[in-house]
Amino acid sequence: MYGGDEVSAIVLDLGSHSCKAGYAGEDAPKAVLPSLVGTMDPMYLPQEPEQPAKMGVDGDNNNAVDPKTGKPVEAAAKKSTRKLYTGVQAMGYRRDHMEVVPALKDGLINDWEVVESIWDHTLRERLMIDPKEHPMLLAEPSFNTPQHREKIVELMFEKYQIPALFLAKNAVLTSFASGRATSLVVDCGGGSTTVAAVHDGYVLQKAIVRSPIGGEFLTDCMLKALEGRGIAIRPRYSFKRKEVRPGEFELTNVDFPNTTESYRRYIQRAIAADVKESVCRVPDGLFEESSYANIPTTPYELPDGQTIEVGADRFKIPDLMFNPALVQTIPGMEKFTTEAGASVKGLPQMVIESINKCDVDIRRELFSSILLAGGTAAMQQMKERLEKDLIEEAPQAARVKVLASGNAIERRFSVWIGGSILASLGSFQQMWLSKSEFEEHGASYVHRKCP
Amino acid sequence: MADAKDILGLPKVVGSGSEKRRSTKDGQKKPDGVSREVYALTGGLPPIMPALDPSNLKKKKPVDSVKKVAWKWNQFTSSARSDSLQLRHWVRVVDNVEPIGDYAFAKYNKAVDVVRYTDEEYSKYLTDTTWNKEETDQLFDLCEQFDLRFIIIADRMPTTRTVEELKERYYSAAKAVLLSRAGLPEDVADHTLMKDIYNVQYETERKKALGILLSQSRQQEREDAEVLAEAKRIQEVRLSAKIAEEAELPSNKSAAETTVNNEMVDKSPRTPLRPTSPAQAAHAGPSTVAAAPAAPVPSVTAVGTSPAISGPRPPRVYLRSAYHAQMVQSSATQAGVRTSKRVDQLLEDYGCRAKVKNPTKTVCEEHIELRKELLTLIQLQKQLTWKENEVSVLRENPYADIPTPSTPKRSHRGNDHERVLTRATAVGADTDSFSGERVNKREHKRKAPARFSEAPASPPHQKRARKMKASDS
Repeated sequence: MYGGDEVSAIVLDLGSHSCKAGYAGEDAPKAVLPSLVGTMDPMYLPQEPEQPAKMGVDGDNNNAVDPKTGKPVEAAAKKSTRKLYTGVQAMGYRRDHMEVVPALKDGLINDWEVVESIWDHTLRERLMIDPKEHPMLLAEPSFNTPQHREKIVELMFEKYQIPALFLAKNAVLTSFASGRATSLVVDCGGGSTTVAAVHDGYVLQKAIVRSPIGGEFLTDCMLKALEGRGIAIRPRYSFKRKEVRPGEFELTNVDFPNTTESYRRYIQRAIAADVKESVCRVPDGLFEESSYANIPTTPYELPDGQTIEVGADRFKIPDLMFNPALVQTIPGMEKFTTEAGASVKGLPQMVIESINKCDVDIRRELFSSILLAGGTAAMQQMKERLEKDLIEEAPQAARVKVLASGNAIERRFSVWIGGSILASLGSFQQMWLSKSEFEEHGASYVHRKCP
Repeated sequence: MADAKDILGLPKVVGSGSEKRRSTKDGQKKPDGVSREVYALTGGLPPIMPALDPSNLKKKKPVDSVKKVAWKWNQFTSSARSDSLQLRHWVRVVDNVEPIGDYAFAKYNKAVDVVRYTDEEYSKYLTDTTWNKEETDQLFDLCEQFDLRFIIIADRMPTTRTVEELKERYYSAAKAVLLSRAGLPEDVADHTLMKDIYNVQYETERKKALGILLSQSRQQEREDAEVLAEAKRIQEVRLSAKIAEEAELPSNKSAAETTVNNEMVDKSPRTPLRPTSPAQAAHAGPSTVAAAPAAPVPSVTAVGTSPAISGPRPPRVYLRSAYHAQMVQSSATQAGVRTSKRVDQLLEDYGCRAKVKNPTKTVCEEHIELRKELLTLIQLQKQLTWKENEVSVLRENPYADIPTPSTPKRSHRGNDHERVLTRATAVGADTDSFSGERVNKREHKRKAPARFSEAPASPPHQKRARKMKASDS
């Protein structure tokens, strides 16, 4: 590469929905896993020798294999020890009394144990590297607090003994992924949507606008809408399909009374998310019940063989991003706005608000380079609809241009890709926060080094 | 392919199967170094012009050099880093000689020279009413960290200060420090901080204006455009009503009305973005007002502000000098070029200027009156000389037919002999052909005062046509 220099850095992006990790210099992350762990309270742990440790990683002590018989005693001694199951495989296997705990809450790290477990699993089992040899580039939310940053730095240096670290903001990385130093980044992620302005490679923190409507919220709405129509989504573990005759299937219900509610919801959400991703499209204008009442439906086959027809919901759900008031019409979700407190804004209003909080001189430039990122932004027609709405709202003097890469993979992983680009640049190698600097100046040095 | 065979003199073959057999038969590696299938792709025949020497393809390409190239995973340090972090990267090693020197990308480590001050310098030169030391320190720290990117500095400052305030403080403080450090002011005169001065007022105004421009949503702009269109329509309706009244001379009242119009138009749209019309009204207002007092104002000023005058109708807002010139010109075209030149000449003779110096209302009116009178004078003079000529002609030849103003119009051909007659009589009467010309011309000119509306603009080479017109009228 012309300006590049491979130092085999690792790029780690922990988001609300999924954690992405891989080598810098590559164009897609090698490891993508959900940012959730399954936790099991110690009293439910089976007394006999457990499965091999690769099914789960203990939160606190790494020696899960040896003292098997002594384990319950240890667990009783350390009451807070819960067994964590991380990774797609571990999470996919249904266990009695296993709760699903998210790592992030409101976009910020909530449970440090869970985060550690995710990182362990990612680095050691998915990427299979020794952290001591690789500098790490971590992507953090644009509104991350200083305390969180310091905690991450401490954790990384002390636990994993990495040689060098850098914390980069999500919006900056997305901007770099599209080759711009100044842009307005609209990150429609899993947990929330963030609109942030990047100027010359730095995020303008006073101009960040957030909204709790994210991919997972849309999935919940989809779930509720389907349930409202009488379609029950059966989790995968709750039935068995047997091929009785070629082409014909027989369905038997399997009952697991001890499955926790959170796990059931997790599995159901996974299915609803798939429905949403395959079927939903952003409507061209504001969604109205009457105009979409007679729209032809699209079929979708659920895992249990049921074929459902999705009609107006196809357009209603994505329109929630542009018109949050629609949530009232979805049965079961009416109480959402009261929880949120202040009224939630639609996407175009958020963009205009963010730009108006910025300095006047850069507003034109921001209008003409609006970037779409995030998994939810990969919905069809999202870019066109946003552009159309913005041209309506924006002043005539500004030229509005919304950019999004055509590739859905690139939109989903744009933060990670930006990190990959940044960490493999030759002129970036002077910016790492090294272990010696951390030891000399302490964790608060990160604010100086990683602005 | 059949043509090629013809050219080469090979026998034609019927059917593709036999062709295939042929190609496989004589395709026994016809050329060396080219495989059979590849050769068959070209048609299975030797090319007309050999392109490649196939023997070359077999030869191995010579190795670039006898160097031994290997790639090593080496440690490196960069001079751009202050600590001794050792990262590793792939390095091309030639002949076991490792590359030396600093990290190649270290040269991109550039920073801006931010002026830093000591505490004494602060207390001596930089104390300010609105800024305390802490804030100034913070500001300078951030300036160094962010390389003078003021927008980001404003974003990260704990206190809310506008970008202009920050810039103002930084530039003034840096300048003061530089000045204090320099021995002579000339030493630092070349420094950019000295050469470019930061103008806070201008910047604030500019940003405010830009903010207004960019804060209007498209809907608002559309509404504004609608209101403007309405106002324009109303103005046009009023203008046509005024023209229907047909005021000849422009009156200040109408000018005042139009300024009132403009003001009313201003009030209706909400946008303050109408600098053109109030400025225009304000500009034209004083110009008409300034014309009234008899102050020596040069008349040849910007003509652009007066809107287009359509014919003799008075414009709503105009420059008197321009209007006056137009009036003069219209009368000149009626009279003819030569007469107007005579008028000008006479004016000069009498000591007046042809072009009016102070185009005040009375002066302009008087000037036009004077011109008219001069015109009448000239025409009377011409009539007089013509009449005298007539008398002299009639004295010599009592039966000569002299064309009079009352002669009816005749066609071009019909006038031929008459014209000749008149010409001859004219020639006969006057020995001087030159004066005869003049007589004819005076004849022609005589008709002018009777008919002000028509301007006989005849081409010079058609004297006959001109004469005809004179005789016609």
